[in-house]
Amino acid sequence: METSSAFDAGLVARYDVAGPRYTSYPAAPQFRADFGESALRAAARASNEDPIPKPVSLYVHVPFCFSPCFYCGCTRVITRDRSRAGAYLERLYREIELIAPLIDRDRQVIQLHFGGGTPNFLDAGQMQELLESLGRHFAFSRDGMREFGIELDPRYADAAYVGALGALGFNRLSVGIQDFDPAVQGAVNRTQSVEQTRAVLDAARSAGFRSVSVDLIYGLPKQTPAGFARTLEQVVALAPDRIACYAYAHLPERFKGQRQIIAADLPDAGTRLALLGLAVADLTAAGYRYIGMDHFARPDDDLARAQEAGTLQRNFQGYSTCAQCDLIGLGMSAISHVGATFSQNARELPGYYAALDAGRLPVVRGLDLDEDDRIRADAIQQLMCHGVLDIPGFERRHALDFGAYFAAEIGRLQALARDGLVVVEPQRILVTARGRFLLRIIAMCFDQYLAASQQTAVRYSRAL
Amino acid sequence: MVHVARAGRRPAPNPIADDGDERRFCSTCAFGSVCLPAGVDKSALNELHMLVEHVGPYRAGDPVFHHGERFGAIFAVRSGMVKTRLNDADGREQVLGFHLPGEMIGLDAIHPAQYPCDAIALDTVYVCRFSFPALATLAARIPDVQQQLFRLLSADIGKAARYAGDHTADARLAAFLLDLAGRYAARGFAQNAFRLAMPRADIANYLRLAAETVSRVLRRFQDQGLIGVDGRDVELKDVAELRRLARSLLHA
Repeated sequence: METSSAFDAGLVARYDVAGPRYTSYPAAPQFRADFGESALRAAARASNEDPIPKPVSLYVHVPFCFSPCFYCGCTRVITRDRSRAGAYLERLYREIELIAPLIDRDRQVIQLHFGGGTPNFLDAGQMQELLESLGRHFAFSRDGMREFGIELDPRYADAAYVGALGALGFNRLSVGIQDFDPAVQGAVNRTQSVEQTRAVLDAARSAGFRSVSVDLIYGLPKQTPAGFARTLEQVVALAPDRIACYAYAHLPERFKGQRQIIAADLPDAGTRLALLGLAVADLTAAGYRYIGMDHFARPDDDLARAQEAGTLQRNFQGYSTCAQCDLIGLGMSAISHVGATFSQNARELPGYYAALDAGRLPVVRGLDLDEDDRIRADAIQQLMCHGVLDIPGFERRHALDFGAYFAAEIGRLQALARDGLVVVEPQRILVTARGRFLLRIIAMCFDQYLAASQQTAVRYSRAL
Repeated sequence: MVHVARAGRRPAPNPIADDGDERRFCSTCAFGSVCLPAGVDKSALNELHMLVEHVGPYRAGDPVFHHGERFGAIFAVRSGMVKTRLNDADGREQVLGFHLPGEMIGLDAIHPAQYPCDAIALDTVYVCRFSFPALATLAARIPDVQQQLFRLLSADIGKAARYAGDHTADARLAAFLLDLAGRYAARGFAQNAFRLAMPRADIANYLRLAAETVSRVLRRFQDQGLIGVDGRDVELKDVAELRRLARSLLHA
């Protein structure tokens, strides 16, 4: 209950400013077009050379969706034509064949994640073929603790399909809900019943999935506290292991699909705050622990345990319990994080296909992190995942004097300290219970690129 | 070093041999002890300094010298790490050794006046170049220089054969880590925390192990609390146990 009482609506409203979500630092808008295929190849080769090379995490992007959810900001292709999957898979196999040989075979894949789009656009047979290809080209870990996860749209998946995924080795399922309120579902073009959702979650449990999670969004058109409270009640009754509750970011100039949303239907700032407050209160009252950012988990879930053990990581899927991995992103728009580099594949099908048809890796932009980037990424990781930055340990890791190196940043943190978001001590920086609702704001203090990006009009979603 | 200066930044974890001045040689240099005994003739010291040439930076992969190249100089590593290697008739690489700041390379080229191996920079490397004809002339005149040269030559003999015997992977890796620690200590650097600039394939080649074995054993050492590994940085945490594991090699 300590968590919900720490939620301070007035404070959160005051810090309602735009900023990155820090699934990476530097954030994706900093990626540059001069980082291409040869840079990724060099990074992949170098990643084999550490005394103990990192294990591997694979991300597979399936961009297709049967119908457009209007709120969505993901890169996706709307089609009902299932045959389009064949052409895509053909390119995906080529990409796997090009990149897998760059990774030494004794480096195990301990994490695999399918995202989209809608991964269940692929039928069970295609899924099996894809998993077999990945298993042939990469060394899958056989450890039961490996995380093989997939996002599913329950409107297009039945129990047999979920069972087939379990048999292929998937052990984590993530399901979009957003809101069960029919008025909201109509306004965002996503009609999905509680029963459909329950059927998929039940199927996952009986197929032996270790963790099931659901996504909610607050700030959607026509959303009301009363309707959202009912949704939260229904979600708690479904008893998922994890719940993500994201803020809707209305950026119609950037995401075309969002232009279908009528701006007048959007809740005002006060209502958005009430919705978030409701989620925090109801979910913590139901026994979920607030992990940070948008994430809640049951205390016995791996995510909550990892946070307790100090092994939590932040990556493109949000939070993760895996040790630091080299991430290889496969598919249109997928992001890789190999060594000290980020790179992203072509964000449209024609570019993605053309590169692979020419026998090239489809990288279009990326970034080779310099020493300062790596130092700041570590600081942000410590604060977002562990809620604490141990200064002596940090100084040892990076051979620096924290106070001198981050003099300006500590100054910015002092302002947040006055609002009770952080405690700045000589030996550590501690995120308070209140501060955990504003992790982005705390992380932004360490972001070297923010001042510059505000001048060049990079648009980020709002912090709340 | 080539670091961009920034407030709060401490020197890079990889050490650099200090540059000395006109009165003394770099304290960390293997040749530096020439100057340590009291009463060294100042003009002799100056002459020695005259024949030293600072060379670099070499980038990772750049050769300092090539196998078969005519011998003209010996080198002391000032910063970074240098690998010596030979390619056999089939083009297979054999790693002969790793050379730390303050250590000499090229001593084995004196006879037959050709470098018998390649010396390759593993990261950003600076070296001191000692022209050998000039050094030899000086050695003939100054006993301290000659003695130091002989010491270095005899220390260099038999170093390569160390891992040739029948030893377990655990013993090889423990001995390898202790050897590096000892050499860093001998030059006055922190001995229980250092950076492995070489790729794991080079460690494996040098120790005559498979690359995956190197990683497997190091991971087990880490799980057992003997060492800590963070990227290329290694910390020795239980030297006594590492010594026990390496004893077959240490006493060989």
